[in-house]
Amino acid sequence: MIDLERTLQDLHRAGVEFIIVGGVAAAVHGATRVTQDLDIVYARTPENIARLAAALAPHRPYLRGAPPGLPFRWDAETIRRGLNFTLTTALGDLDLLGEIAGGGGYPELLPHTRVFTLAGAELRCLGLARLIHVKRAAGRPRDLEAIAELEALREERGDPDAG
Amino acid sequence: MSVPAGRSWVEPATGEPDPVIEAYKKDVDRTLLRANLARSVEERLRNLARLQRFAETLRRAGRAPR
Repeated sequence: MIDLERTLQDLHRAGVEFIIVGGVAAAVHGATRVTQDLDIVYARTPENIARLAAALAPHRPYLRGAPPGLPFRWDAETIRRGLNFTLTTALGDLDLLGEIAGGGGYPELLPHTRVFTLAGAELRCLGLARLIHVKRAAGRPRDLEAIAELEALREERGDPDAG
Repeated sequence: MSVPAGRSWVEPATGEPDPVIEAYKKDVDRTLLRANLARSVEERLRNLARLQRFAETLRRAGRAPR
């Protein structure tokens, strides 16, 4: 389980450029399914990587599912050398994605985002149409029900191109 | 971050209804969606956090020795 509000606020306060995707983005759009982690796409600029490393360092990120004691150093260099990280942190499970299937990275996704406010912080999440697109592109059987709900949401909103 | 030659990161949307998704869509409870759409985004996220805590409580209870 992730402490959503604190995680999002910490990333925002640190000036990290990121886009919320996955189940939390679906919830922003009105989906009812409960997700336990937070997926974000982060900008891969050196400055943003440094901000991301610093923002999460106090929460002791570690590779999710990896055996304890594995040598893992959380810093900008580790992020730069990798791309997508599935992490467990003191705030909960967090997936940091440099790219996603069917959507690309932060610059490609940015035009397809919407801004919302949470406790005074302006945050970005992937728009509904693009969220459906990337979930379809991922091609995971477990996403089928989630995609059906997102498409139903788009119909309920009465805007077939709802971003 | 490189894009393979001749390929775009953004795949073209087909716009075609997927019969599998359409079948799943029949089971979506739209009353819940309408109720959620009536809430603010902030309310939706706080609701999600509340449900996450509840799910965690249930999981812990399930793991506790009887």
